[in-house]
Amino acid sequence: MRTRGRSWRAVLIIPLLAVILVVYAFPIYWLIVTSLKSRGQLFQATLSLLPEAPTLQPYADVLIDRGMWILLRNSIVVCSATVVLALTIGLLITYPITRLDVSPRVRAGVLNWALSLRFLPPIAVVVPYFAVVRTVGLYDQPLALIFIYSLFNLPFTIWMLKGFLTEIPREIEEAALSDGASRWTAFRHILLPLATPGLLAAGVIVFSFSWSEFLFALILTSSPNAQTFPVGVQGLVTQFEIIWNDMAAAGTIAMLLPLVLMVLARRHVVTGLTFGVVREK
Amino acid sequence: MANVTHVRPAPVKRAGAGRFTRQERLAYTMLVPILGSIFLIVTYPFVLAVIQSLQATNGAAFVGLQNYVTGLENPLLYEALGATGIYAALVLPTEILLGLGLALAVHRAIKSTALRALFFGMAIVPLVIPPIAVGVIARLMYAPSYGVINHILMLTGVTHDEINWLGQPITAMPAVASVDVWQWTPFVYLVLFSGFLTVPRDEIEAAQVDGASGWAQFWRIELYYLRPLLVLIVFFRLADVLRVFDHVFILTGGGPGNTTQLLSLYLYRVEFKFSDYGQAAALAVVVLIAISVVYSLVTRVLPLERK
Repeated sequence: MRTRGRSWRAVLIIPLLAVILVVYAFPIYWLIVTSLKSRGQLFQATLSLLPEAPTLQPYADVLIDRGMWILLRNSIVVCSATVVLALTIGLLITYPITRLDVSPRVRAGVLNWALSLRFLPPIAVVVPYFAVVRTVGLYDQPLALIFIYSLFNLPFTIWMLKGFLTEIPREIEEAALSDGASRWTAFRHILLPLATPGLLAAGVIVFSFSWSEFLFALILTSSPNAQTFPVGVQGLVTQFEIIWNDMAAAGTIAMLLPLVLMVLARRHVVTGLTFGVVREK
Repeated sequence: MANVTHVRPAPVKRAGAGRFTRQERLAYTMLVPILGSIFLIVTYPFVLAVIQSLQATNGAAFVGLQNYVTGLENPLLYEALGATGIYAALVLPTEILLGLGLALAVHRAIKSTALRALFFGMAIVPLVIPPIAVGVIARLMYAPSYGVINHILMLTGVTHDEINWLGQPITAMPAVASVDVWQWTPFVYLVLFSGFLTVPRDEIEAAQVDGASGWAQFWRIELYYLRPLLVLIVFFRLADVLRVFDHVFILTGGGPGNTTQLLSLYLYRVEFKFSDYGQAAALAVVVLIAISVVYSLVTRVLPLERK
Protein backbone atom coordinates (compact mmCIF):
# COMPACT_ATOMS: atom_id res chain seq x y z
CA MET A 1 0.00 0.00 0.00
CA ARG A 2 2.77 2.38 0.92
CA THR A 3 4.78 1.99 -2.28
CA ARG A 4 1.73 2.02 -4.48
CA GLY A 5 0.67 5.20 -2.74
CA ARG A 6 3.95 6.88 -3.46
CA SER A 7 4.01 6.42 -7.22
CA TRP A 8 0.36 7.34 -7.35
CA ARG A 9 1.28 10.55 -5.60
CA ALA A 10 3.96 11.57 -8.06
CA VAL A 11 1.65 10.86 -10.98
CA LEU A 12 -0.95 13.10 -9.42
CA ILE A 13 1.09 16.00 -8.11
CA ILE A 14 2.90 16.96 -11.27
CA PRO A 15 -0.09 17.36 -13.60
CA LEU A 16 -2.00 18.98 -10.76
CA LEU A 17 0.66 21.60 -10.25
CA ALA A 18 0.97 22.10 -13.99
CA VAL A 19 -2.76 22.67 -14.46
CA ILE A 20 -2.93 25.06 -11.54
CA LEU A 21 0.06 26.93 -12.83
CA VAL A 22 -1.49 27.32 -16.27
CA VAL A 23 -4.96 28.17 -15.04
CA TYR A 24 -3.96 30.55 -12.25
CA ALA A 25 -0.46 31.83 -12.78
CA PHE A 26 -0.76 32.44 -16.50
CA PRO A 27 -3.75 34.85 -16.48
CA ILE A 28 -2.18 36.92 -13.72
CA TYR A 29 1.15 36.85 -15.51
CA TRP A 30 -0.56 37.87 -18.73
CA LEU A 31 -2.22 40.82 -17.03
CA ILE A 32 1.12 42.08 -15.78
CA VAL A 33 2.92 41.45 -19.08
CA THR A 34 0.23 43.29 -21.01
CA SER A 35 0.52 46.21 -18.62
CA LEU A 36 4.23 46.47 -19.49
CA LYS A 37 3.75 46.66 -23.24
CA SER A 38 3.93 49.77 -25.29
CA ARG A 39 0.97 50.64 -27.46
CA GLY A 40 2.87 49.60 -30.58
CA GLN A 41 3.44 46.10 -29.27
CA LEU A 42 -0.23 45.46 -28.58
CA PHE A 43 -1.27 44.50 -32.05
CA GLN A 44 1.65 42.48 -33.22
CA ALA A 45 0.59 39.42 -35.13
CA THR A 46 2.19 37.05 -32.64
CA LEU A 47 1.49 37.21 -28.96
CA SER A 48 4.81 37.35 -27.23
CA LEU A 49 5.06 35.76 -23.82
CA LEU A 50 7.61 38.30 -22.73
CA PRO A 51 7.30 42.02 -23.30
CA GLU A 52 10.07 42.89 -25.74
CA ALA A 53 10.85 46.27 -24.31
CA PRO A 54 9.00 46.47 -21.00
CA THR A 55 7.81 49.95 -20.28
CA LEU A 56 6.04 51.62 -17.39
CA GLN A 57 4.40 54.04 -19.80
CA PRO A 58 0.90 52.52 -19.40
CA TYR A 59 1.09 53.15 -15.66
CA ALA A 60 2.01 56.77 -16.25
CA ASP A 61 -0.79 57.03 -18.83
CA VAL A 62 -3.36 55.62 -16.46
CA LEU A 63 -2.34 57.40 -13.29
CA ILE A 64 -1.28 60.78 -14.64
CA ASP A 65 -2.73 61.36 -18.12
CA ARG A 66 -6.07 59.84 -17.26
CA GLY A 67 -5.86 61.32 -13.78
CA MET A 68 -6.61 58.06 -12.02
CA TRP A 69 -4.18 58.87 -9.22
CA ILE A 70 -7.02 60.92 -7.77
CA LEU A 71 -9.23 57.83 -7.73
CA LEU A 72 -6.38 55.91 -6.14
CA ARG A 73 -6.15 58.57 -3.45
CA ASN A 74 -9.94 58.45 -2.94
CA SER A 75 -9.77 54.68 -2.56
CA ILE A 76 -7.02 54.91 0.04
CA VAL A 77 -8.87 57.61 1.99
CA VAL A 78 -12.19 55.77 1.88
CA CYS A 79 -10.70 52.41 2.81
CA SER A 80 -8.56 53.76 5.67
CA ALA A 81 -11.48 55.64 7.15
CA THR A 82 -13.65 52.54 6.77
CA VAL A 83 -11.09 50.47 8.65
CA VAL A 84 -11.06 52.92 11.55
CA LEU A 85 -14.84 53.23 11.69
CA ALA A 86 -15.59 49.51 11.26
CA LEU A 87 -13.05 48.50 13.90
CA THR A 88 -14.28 51.12 16.36
CA ILE A 89 -17.90 50.06 15.99
CA GLY A 90 -16.82 46.43 15.96
CA LEU A 91 -15.00 46.88 19.27
CA LEU A 92 -17.91 48.76 20.80
CA ILE A 93 -20.11 45.79 19.99
CA THR A 94 -17.75 42.91 20.68
CA TYR A 95 -16.22 44.27 23.89
CA PRO A 96 -19.47 44.05 25.86
CA ILE A 97 -20.44 40.66 24.48
CA THR A 98 -17.06 39.05 25.13
CA ARG A 99 -15.65 40.85 28.19
CA LEU A 100 -18.73 41.70 30.23
CA ASP A 101 -21.35 39.44 31.75
CA VAL A 102 -24.24 39.75 29.36
CA SER A 103 -26.85 37.09 29.00
CA PRO A 104 -25.97 34.47 26.38
CA ARG A 105 -29.17 35.35 24.57
CA VAL A 106 -28.02 38.90 23.96
CA ARG A 107 -24.67 37.63 22.76
CA ALA A 108 -26.22 35.12 20.39
CA GLY A 109 -28.71 37.73 19.22
CA VAL A 110 -25.98 40.19 18.29
CA LEU A 111 -23.95 37.55 16.46
CA ASN A 112 -26.96 36.19 14.60
CA TRP A 113 -28.01 39.62 13.56
CA ALA A 114 -24.52 40.41 12.29
CA LEU A 115 -24.61 37.18 10.33
CA SER A 116 -27.96 38.03 8.78
CA LEU A 117 -26.45 41.29 7.45
CA ARG A 118 -23.91 39.19 5.58
CA PHE A 119 -26.69 37.69 3.49
CA LEU A 120 -28.12 41.04 2.51
CA PRO A 121 -27.48 41.48 -1.22
CA PRO A 122 -26.18 45.03 -1.74
CA ILE A 123 -28.19 45.49 -4.93
CA ALA A 124 -31.44 45.21 -2.96
CA VAL A 125 -30.45 48.04 -0.63
CA VAL A 126 -28.80 50.12 -3.32
CA VAL A 127 -32.16 51.49 -4.45
CA PRO A 128 -33.21 52.95 -1.08
CA TYR A 129 -29.63 53.96 -0.15
CA PHE A 130 -29.34 55.87 -3.39
CA ALA A 131 -32.41 57.86 -2.40
CA VAL A 132 -31.21 58.42 1.18
CA VAL A 133 -27.73 59.45 0.15
CA ARG A 134 -29.11 61.98 -2.30
CA THR A 135 -31.58 63.39 0.23
CA VAL A 136 -28.94 63.97 2.91
CA GLY A 137 -26.54 65.53 0.41
CA LEU A 138 -23.89 62.83 0.51
CA TYR A 139 -24.14 61.90 -3.17
CA ASP A 140 -20.69 61.89 -4.78
CA GLN A 141 -19.08 62.32 -1.34
CA PRO A 142 -16.48 59.89 0.05
CA LEU A 143 -18.33 59.99 3.37
CA ALA A 144 -21.29 58.09 1.92
CA LEU A 145 -19.01 55.26 0.85
CA ILE A 146 -17.22 55.23 4.21
CA PHE A 147 -20.51 54.79 6.08
CA ILE A 148 -21.84 52.12 3.78
CA TYR A 149 -18.58 50.17 3.61
CA SER A 150 -18.33 50.22 7.40
CA LEU A 151 -21.85 48.89 7.66
CA PHE A 152 -21.26 46.09 5.17
CA ASN A 153 -17.94 45.14 6.73
CA LEU A 154 -19.42 45.00 10.23
CA PRO A 155 -20.70 41.40 10.10
CA PHE A 156 -17.38 39.73 9.73
CA THR A 157 -15.54 42.44 11.70
CA ILE A 158 -17.79 41.51 14.61
CA TRP A 159 -17.25 37.79 14.11
CA MET A 160 -13.50 38.12 13.72
CA LEU A 161 -13.06 40.42 16.71
CA LYS A 162 -15.28 38.16 18.78
CA GLY A 163 -12.94 35.29 17.91
CA PHE A 164 -9.83 37.24 18.81
CA LEU A 165 -11.23 38.71 22.02
CA THR A 166 -12.52 35.38 23.32
CA GLU A 167 -9.03 33.97 23.00
CA ILE A 168 -7.64 36.53 25.44
CA PRO A 169 -8.32 35.21 28.97
CA ARG A 170 -10.56 37.49 31.01
CA GLU A 171 -8.46 36.79 34.11
CA ILE A 172 -5.68 39.06 32.81
CA GLU A 173 -8.00 42.04 32.77
CA GLU A 174 -9.71 41.10 35.99
CA ALA A 175 -6.39 41.02 37.80
CA ALA A 176 -5.83 44.64 36.83
CA LEU A 177 -9.39 45.57 37.78
CA SER A 178 -9.04 44.10 41.23
CA ASP A 179 -5.84 46.12 41.63
CA GLY A 180 -8.01 49.19 41.27
CA ALA A 181 -7.59 50.00 37.59
CA SER A 182 -10.63 51.45 35.84
CA ARG A 183 -12.28 49.51 33.03
CA TRP A 184 -10.96 52.03 30.54
CA THR A 185 -7.39 51.68 31.84
CA ALA A 186 -7.67 47.91 31.75
CA PHE A 187 -8.99 48.09 28.20
CA ARG A 188 -6.45 50.63 27.03
CA HIS A 189 -3.33 49.16 28.64
CA ILE A 190 -4.05 45.47 28.84
CA LEU A 191 -6.70 44.31 26.39
CA LEU A 192 -5.87 46.62 23.49
CA PRO A 193 -2.18 45.66 23.23
CA LEU A 194 -3.10 41.98 23.40
CA ALA A 195 -5.81 42.42 20.77
CA THR A 196 -3.62 44.44 18.39
CA PRO A 197 -2.60 41.54 16.13
CA GLY A 198 -6.26 40.59 15.73
CA LEU A 199 -7.27 44.18 15.09
CA LEU A 200 -4.56 44.52 12.47
CA ALA A 201 -5.66 41.34 10.73
CA ALA A 202 -9.29 42.45 10.73
CA GLY A 203 -8.22 45.90 9.56
CA VAL A 204 -6.27 44.49 6.64
CA ILE A 205 -9.22 42.41 5.53
CA VAL A 206 -11.70 45.27 5.89
CA PHE A 207 -9.32 47.42 3.86
CA SER A 208 -9.08 44.99 0.99
CA PHE A 209 -12.80 44.23 0.93
CA SER A 210 -13.55 47.95 0.76
CA TRP A 211 -10.82 48.33 -1.84
CA SER A 212 -12.58 45.75 -4.03
CA GLU A 213 -16.06 47.19 -3.64
CA PHE A 214 -17.54 48.37 -6.90
CA LEU A 215 -21.34 48.49 -6.93
CA PHE A 216 -21.88 51.21 -4.31
CA ALA A 217 -18.96 53.21 -5.65
CA LEU A 218 -20.44 53.05 -9.14
CA ILE A 219 -23.86 54.19 -8.04
CA LEU A 220 -23.10 56.70 -5.31
CA THR A 221 -20.37 58.66 -7.06
CA SER A 222 -20.25 60.55 -10.31
CA SER A 223 -16.99 62.48 -10.41
CA PRO A 224 -13.34 62.20 -9.36
CA ASN A 225 -14.44 63.91 -6.17
CA ALA A 226 -15.42 60.55 -4.72
CA GLN A 227 -14.99 57.89 -7.41
CA THR A 228 -12.83 55.00 -6.28
CA PHE A 229 -10.24 53.13 -8.28
CA PRO A 230 -12.47 50.19 -9.37
CA VAL A 231 -14.87 52.69 -10.94
CA GLY A 232 -11.97 54.04 -12.98
CA VAL A 233 -10.93 50.53 -14.00
CA GLN A 234 -14.49 49.88 -15.15
CA GLY A 235 -14.33 53.02 -17.27
CA LEU A 236 -11.31 51.65 -19.11
CA VAL A 237 -12.97 48.30 -19.75
CA THR A 238 -16.37 49.42 -20.95
CA GLN A 239 -15.26 52.23 -23.24
CA PHE A 240 -15.76 51.75 -26.96
CA GLU A 241 -12.19 51.05 -27.93
CA ILE A 242 -10.25 49.29 -25.22
CA ILE A 243 -6.63 50.33 -24.81
CA TRP A 244 -5.40 46.97 -23.60
CA ASN A 245 -2.16 47.98 -21.95
CA ASP A 246 -3.78 50.84 -20.03
CA MET A 247 -6.60 48.59 -18.93
CA ALA A 248 -4.09 45.96 -17.79
CA ALA A 249 -2.05 48.54 -15.92
CA ALA A 250 -5.13 49.74 -14.07
CA GLY A 251 -6.10 46.13 -13.33
CA THR A 252 -2.63 45.42 -12.01
CA ILE A 253 -2.73 48.41 -9.67
CA ALA A 254 -6.16 47.35 -8.40
CA MET A 255 -4.86 43.84 -7.80
CA LEU A 256 -1.51 44.60 -6.23
CA LEU A 257 -2.50 46.39 -3.06
CA PRO A 258 -4.78 43.67 -1.64
CA LEU A 259 -2.22 41.06 -2.65
CA VAL A 260 0.51 42.80 -0.70
CA LEU A 261 -1.77 43.31 2.27
CA MET A 262 -2.89 39.71 2.24
CA VAL A 263 0.65 38.48 2.54
CA LEU A 264 0.48 40.07 5.98
CA ALA A 265 -2.88 38.65 6.98
CA ARG A 266 -3.04 35.42 4.97
CA ARG A 267 -3.67 33.30 8.07
CA HIS A 268 -6.86 35.22 8.71
CA VAL A 269 -8.36 35.54 5.25
CA VAL A 270 -10.22 32.26 5.35
CA THR A 271 -11.21 32.79 8.98
CA GLY A 272 -12.72 36.11 8.00
CA LEU A 273 -14.47 34.78 4.92
CA THR A 274 -16.06 31.91 6.85
CA PHE A 275 -16.95 33.86 9.98
CA GLY A 276 -14.44 32.02 12.08
CA VAL A 277 -15.57 28.50 11.24
CA VAL A 278 -12.30 27.72 9.55
CA ARG A 279 -9.19 28.53 11.47
CA GLU A 280 -5.70 28.36 10.05
CA LYS A 281 -3.08 27.67 12.63
CA MET B 1 -32.24 42.38 9.69
CA ALA B 2 -35.02 40.15 10.76
CA ASN B 3 -33.21 39.22 13.91
CA VAL B 4 -32.73 42.65 15.27
CA THR B 5 -35.64 42.38 17.63
CA HIS B 6 -33.81 39.78 19.66
CA VAL B 7 -30.99 42.20 20.17
CA ARG B 8 -32.74 45.31 21.34
CA PRO B 9 -32.55 44.96 25.11
CA ALA B 10 -35.62 47.09 25.63
CA PRO B 11 -36.18 46.06 29.27
CA VAL B 12 -33.17 48.12 30.38
CA LYS B 13 -35.07 51.30 30.82
CA ARG B 14 -38.35 49.83 31.93
CA ALA B 15 -37.04 47.44 34.53
CA GLY B 16 -34.96 49.98 36.40
CA ALA B 17 -31.33 49.68 37.34
CA GLY B 18 -31.83 47.24 40.16
CA ARG B 19 -32.17 44.19 37.98
CA PHE B 20 -28.79 44.56 36.30
CA THR B 21 -25.30 44.18 37.60
CA ARG B 22 -22.79 46.97 37.01
CA GLN B 23 -21.24 45.00 34.20
CA GLU B 24 -24.55 44.47 32.50
CA ARG B 25 -25.38 48.13 32.78
CA LEU B 26 -22.05 49.05 31.20
CA ALA B 27 -22.60 46.48 28.49
CA TYR B 28 -26.01 47.84 27.61
CA THR B 29 -24.86 51.46 27.71
CA MET B 30 -22.40 50.48 25.01
CA LEU B 31 -24.65 48.18 23.02
CA VAL B 32 -27.99 49.98 22.98
CA PRO B 33 -26.94 53.25 21.29
CA ILE B 34 -24.69 51.61 18.75
CA LEU B 35 -27.01 48.75 17.83
CA GLY B 36 -29.95 51.14 17.90
CA SER B 37 -28.31 53.44 15.37
CA ILE B 38 -27.30 50.56 13.15
CA PHE B 39 -30.81 49.22 13.38
CA LEU B 40 -32.16 52.59 12.24
CA ILE B 41 -29.58 52.89 9.46
CA VAL B 42 -30.55 49.47 8.16
CA THR B 43 -34.29 49.82 8.64
CA TYR B 44 -34.91 53.38 7.53
CA PRO B 45 -33.97 52.75 3.89
CA PHE B 46 -36.18 49.68 3.94
CA VAL B 47 -39.13 51.74 5.13
CA LEU B 48 -38.26 54.30 2.49
CA ALA B 49 -38.19 51.58 -0.16
CA VAL B 50 -41.63 50.42 0.91
CA ILE B 51 -42.95 53.99 0.63
CA GLN B 52 -41.23 54.49 -2.72
CA SER B 53 -42.66 51.25 -4.00
CA LEU B 54 -46.20 52.45 -3.31
CA GLN B 55 -45.72 55.72 -5.16
CA ALA B 56 -45.61 56.60 -8.82
CA THR B 57 -42.11 57.04 -10.22
CA ASN B 58 -42.76 60.61 -11.25
CA GLY B 59 -44.40 62.53 -8.48
CA ALA B 60 -45.52 61.15 -5.17
CA ALA B 61 -48.98 59.94 -6.15
CA PHE B 62 -50.03 56.88 -4.21
CA VAL B 63 -50.49 54.02 -6.65
CA GLY B 64 -51.04 51.11 -4.29
CA LEU B 65 -49.53 47.86 -5.46
CA GLN B 66 -49.25 49.00 -9.07
CA ASN B 67 -45.43 48.94 -9.00
CA TYR B 68 -45.45 45.42 -7.60
CA VAL B 69 -47.79 44.26 -10.32
CA THR B 70 -45.67 45.86 -13.06
CA GLY B 71 -42.50 44.51 -11.53
CA LEU B 72 -43.76 40.98 -11.09
CA GLU B 73 -45.47 40.87 -14.46
CA ASN B 74 -42.35 41.88 -16.32
CA PRO B 75 -41.00 38.82 -18.17
CA LEU B 76 -37.49 40.30 -17.87
CA LEU B 77 -37.62 39.59 -14.13
CA TYR B 78 -38.13 35.89 -14.80
CA GLU B 79 -35.40 35.91 -17.42
CA ALA B 80 -33.12 37.42 -14.79
CA LEU B 81 -34.16 34.83 -12.22
CA GLY B 82 -33.57 32.13 -14.81
CA ALA B 83 -30.13 33.51 -15.64
CA THR B 84 -29.27 33.62 -11.94
CA GLY B 85 -30.44 30.04 -11.62
CA ILE B 86 -28.34 28.90 -14.58
CA TYR B 87 -25.36 30.79 -13.21
CA ALA B 88 -25.76 29.15 -9.80
CA ALA B 89 -26.27 25.74 -11.41
CA LEU B 90 -23.07 26.15 -13.41
CA VAL B 91 -20.98 27.65 -10.68
CA LEU B 92 -21.91 25.89 -7.43
CA PRO B 93 -21.46 22.22 -8.41
CA THR B 94 -18.32 22.97 -10.41
CA GLU B 95 -16.70 24.87 -7.58
CA ILE B 96 -17.66 22.31 -4.97
CA LEU B 97 -16.55 19.28 -7.00
CA LEU B 98 -13.29 20.88 -8.12
CA GLY B 99 -12.57 22.24 -4.65
CA LEU B 100 -13.38 18.93 -3.01
CA GLY B 101 -11.30 16.98 -5.51
CA LEU B 102 -8.39 19.31 -5.07
CA ALA B 103 -8.61 19.20 -1.28
CA LEU B 104 -8.76 15.41 -1.36
CA ALA B 105 -5.84 15.18 -3.77
CA VAL B 106 -3.63 17.54 -1.79
CA HIS B 107 -4.60 15.93 1.49
CA ARG B 108 -3.79 12.43 0.25
CA ALA B 109 -0.89 13.07 -2.07
CA ILE B 110 1.04 15.94 -0.60
CA LYS B 111 2.54 15.39 2.80
CA SER B 112 5.29 17.99 2.75
CA THR B 113 4.44 21.00 4.87
CA ALA B 114 6.20 23.36 2.49
CA LEU B 115 4.19 22.20 -0.53
CA ARG B 116 0.97 22.41 1.46
CA ALA B 117 1.88 25.93 2.50
CA LEU B 118 2.53 26.73 -1.15
CA PHE B 119 -0.95 25.51 -2.10
CA PHE B 120 -2.41 27.54 0.75
CA GLY B 121 -0.61 30.65 -0.41
CA MET B 122 -1.62 30.16 -4.03
CA ALA B 123 -5.24 29.57 -3.09
CA ILE B 124 -5.43 32.86 -1.21
CA VAL B 125 -4.38 34.88 -4.25
CA PRO B 126 -7.55 34.70 -6.39
CA LEU B 127 -9.70 35.32 -3.31
CA VAL B 128 -8.23 38.73 -2.66
CA ILE B 129 -8.07 40.05 -6.20
CA PRO B 130 -10.87 42.59 -6.63
CA PRO B 131 -13.63 41.19 -8.88
CA ILE B 132 -13.09 44.18 -11.14
CA ALA B 133 -9.46 43.18 -11.70
CA VAL B 134 -10.56 39.59 -12.23
CA GLY B 135 -12.91 40.96 -14.88
CA VAL B 136 -9.97 42.71 -16.53
CA ILE B 137 -8.01 39.46 -16.53
CA ALA B 138 -10.98 37.64 -18.03
CA ARG B 139 -11.24 40.29 -20.73
CA LEU B 140 -7.63 39.64 -21.67
CA MET B 141 -8.44 35.94 -21.91
CA TYR B 142 -11.78 36.02 -23.75
CA ALA B 143 -11.90 39.24 -25.71
CA PRO B 144 -12.15 39.09 -29.49
CA SER B 145 -9.02 40.23 -31.37
CA TYR B 146 -6.84 40.29 -28.27
CA GLY B 147 -8.01 37.30 -26.23
CA VAL B 148 -5.39 34.70 -25.43
CA ILE B 149 -7.80 31.77 -25.49
CA ASN B 150 -8.75 32.39 -29.12
CA HIS B 151 -5.13 32.83 -30.00
CA ILE B 152 -4.17 29.49 -28.48
CA LEU B 153 -7.13 27.72 -30.07
CA MET B 154 -6.22 29.07 -33.48
CA LEU B 155 -2.55 28.32 -33.00
CA THR B 156 -3.27 24.71 -32.14
CA GLY B 157 -5.74 24.44 -34.99
CA VAL B 158 -8.79 23.69 -32.86
CA THR B 159 -10.63 26.47 -34.61
CA HIS B 160 -9.90 28.71 -37.55
CA ASP B 161 -12.24 31.55 -36.76
CA GLU B 162 -12.26 33.73 -33.71
CA ILE B 163 -14.86 32.67 -31.19
CA ASN B 164 -16.71 35.65 -29.80
CA TRP B 165 -16.90 34.21 -26.28
CA LEU B 166 -18.61 37.11 -24.62
CA GLY B 167 -20.76 38.07 -27.59
CA GLN B 168 -22.78 34.96 -28.31
CA PRO B 169 -25.58 33.67 -26.11
CA ILE B 170 -24.28 30.09 -25.91
CA THR B 171 -20.77 30.92 -24.76
CA ALA B 172 -21.36 34.12 -22.79
CA MET B 173 -22.87 32.47 -19.73
CA PRO B 174 -20.21 29.73 -19.41
CA ALA B 175 -17.50 32.35 -19.94
CA VAL B 176 -18.90 34.56 -17.22
CA ALA B 177 -19.42 31.57 -14.93
CA SER B 178 -15.86 30.36 -15.53
CA VAL B 179 -14.61 33.59 -14.00
CA ASP B 180 -16.58 32.85 -10.84
CA VAL B 181 -15.21 29.31 -10.77
CA TRP B 182 -11.69 30.65 -11.20
CA GLN B 183 -12.04 33.04 -8.32
CA TRP B 184 -13.98 30.94 -5.82
CA THR B 185 -12.87 27.32 -6.26
CA PRO B 186 -9.82 28.12 -4.09
CA PHE B 187 -12.19 29.21 -1.32
CA VAL B 188 -13.94 25.83 -1.41
CA TYR B 189 -10.55 24.15 -1.48
CA LEU B 190 -9.28 26.07 1.56
CA VAL B 191 -12.37 25.39 3.63
CA LEU B 192 -12.52 21.69 2.75
CA PHE B 193 -8.80 21.14 3.11
CA SER B 194 -8.92 22.49 6.64
CA GLY B 195 -11.91 20.18 7.09
CA PHE B 196 -9.85 17.15 6.12
CA LEU B 197 -7.38 18.09 8.85
CA THR B 198 -10.09 17.90 11.51
CA VAL B 199 -11.00 14.28 10.74
CA PRO B 200 -9.88 12.27 13.78
CA ARG B 201 -6.75 10.26 13.03
CA ASP B 202 -7.78 7.20 15.03
CA GLU B 203 -10.93 6.72 12.96
CA ILE B 204 -8.90 6.71 9.76
CA GLU B 205 -6.35 4.36 11.29
CA ALA B 206 -9.05 2.02 12.55
CA ALA B 207 -10.53 1.92 9.07
CA GLN B 208 -7.13 1.21 7.56
CA VAL B 209 -6.57 -1.65 9.98
CA ASP B 210 -9.92 -3.04 8.86
CA GLY B 211 -8.58 -2.85 5.33
CA ALA B 212 -10.83 -0.06 4.04
CA SER B 213 -9.76 1.33 0.69
CA GLY B 214 -8.87 4.98 0.33
CA TRP B 215 -12.16 5.46 -1.45
CA ALA B 216 -14.15 3.93 1.41
CA GLN B 217 -12.28 6.14 3.86
CA PHE B 218 -13.43 9.14 1.92
CA TRP B 219 -17.07 8.14 1.51
CA ARG B 220 -17.60 6.61 4.96
CA ILE B 221 -15.51 8.81 7.24
CA GLU B 222 -14.11 11.99 5.77
CA LEU B 223 -17.24 13.07 3.92
CA TYR B 224 -19.15 12.74 7.19
CA TYR B 225 -16.85 15.26 8.86
CA LEU B 226 -16.92 17.57 5.84
CA ARG B 227 -20.72 17.72 5.71
CA PRO B 228 -21.19 20.79 7.93
CA LEU B 229 -18.52 22.62 5.94
CA LEU B 230 -20.23 21.72 2.68
CA VAL B 231 -23.46 23.19 4.05
CA LEU B 232 -21.57 26.32 4.99
CA ILE B 233 -19.99 26.60 1.56
CA VAL B 234 -23.33 26.24 -0.19
CA PHE B 235 -24.86 29.02 1.89
CA PHE B 236 -21.99 31.43 1.56
CA ARG B 237 -21.68 30.80 -2.15
CA LEU B 238 -25.44 31.16 -2.66
CA ALA B 239 -25.39 34.48 -0.84
CA ASP B 240 -22.52 35.51 -3.10
CA VAL B 241 -24.21 34.38 -6.31
CA LEU B 242 -27.08 36.72 -5.45
CA ARG B 243 -24.62 39.59 -5.21
CA VAL B 244 -22.57 38.82 -8.31
CA PHE B 245 -22.37 42.03 -10.24
CA ASP B 246 -18.88 43.38 -10.85
CA HIS B 247 -17.27 40.98 -13.26
CA VAL B 248 -20.45 40.35 -15.24
CA PHE B 249 -21.03 44.07 -15.48
CA ILE B 250 -17.67 44.71 -17.11
CA LEU B 251 -17.53 41.52 -19.17
CA THR B 252 -20.96 41.43 -20.83
CA GLY B 253 -23.06 44.07 -19.09
CA GLY B 254 -25.83 41.47 -19.00
CA GLY B 255 -25.74 40.71 -22.72
CA PRO B 256 -25.78 39.43 -25.35
CA GLY B 257 -29.51 40.02 -25.28
CA ASN B 258 -30.32 39.31 -21.65
CA THR B 259 -28.51 36.00 -21.40
CA THR B 260 -26.17 37.02 -18.58
CA GLN B 261 -28.47 39.54 -16.96
CA LEU B 262 -28.41 38.18 -13.42
CA LEU B 263 -30.85 39.43 -10.80
CA SER B 264 -28.46 42.08 -9.49
CA LEU B 265 -27.80 43.42 -12.99
CA TYR B 266 -31.51 43.47 -13.73
CA LEU B 267 -32.30 45.48 -10.59
CA TYR B 268 -29.51 47.86 -11.52
CA ARG B 269 -31.00 48.27 -14.96
CA VAL B 270 -34.52 48.94 -13.73
CA GLU B 271 -33.31 51.59 -11.31
CA PHE B 272 -30.53 53.31 -13.19
CA LYS B 273 -31.16 52.65 -16.88
CA PHE B 274 -34.94 52.69 -17.02
CA SER B 275 -35.04 55.06 -14.03
CA ASP B 276 -38.19 53.31 -12.90
CA TYR B 277 -37.66 54.01 -9.19
CA GLY B 278 -41.08 52.79 -8.16
CA GLN B 279 -40.65 49.41 -9.81
CA ALA B 280 -37.05 49.13 -8.61
CA ALA B 281 -38.15 49.81 -5.03
CA ALA B 282 -40.94 47.24 -5.32
CA LEU B 283 -38.48 44.64 -6.59
CA ALA B 284 -36.00 45.53 -3.84
CA VAL B 285 -38.71 45.03 -1.22
CA VAL B 286 -39.68 41.68 -2.72
CA VAL B 287 -36.04 40.54 -2.84
CA LEU B 288 -35.40 41.66 0.75
CA ILE B 289 -38.46 39.85 2.05
CA ALA B 290 -37.65 36.71 0.07
CA ILE B 291 -34.08 36.73 1.38
CA SER B 292 -35.19 37.28 4.99
CA VAL B 293 -37.57 34.34 4.75
CA VAL B 294 -35.01 32.05 3.16
CA TYR B 295 -32.39 33.23 5.61
CA SER B 296 -34.47 32.58 8.70
CA LEU B 297 -35.29 29.13 7.36
CA VAL B 298 -31.76 28.03 6.57
CA THR B 299 -29.72 29.83 9.20
CA ARG B 300 -30.35 27.21 11.88
CA VAL B 301 -28.41 24.65 9.88
CA LEU B 302 -25.26 26.77 9.66
CA PRO B 303 -22.49 25.21 11.76
CA LEU B 304 -21.41 28.47 13.36
CA GLU B 305 -20.61 28.71 17.04
CA ARG B 306 -22.70 31.50 18.45
CA LYS B 307 -21.47 31.57 22.01
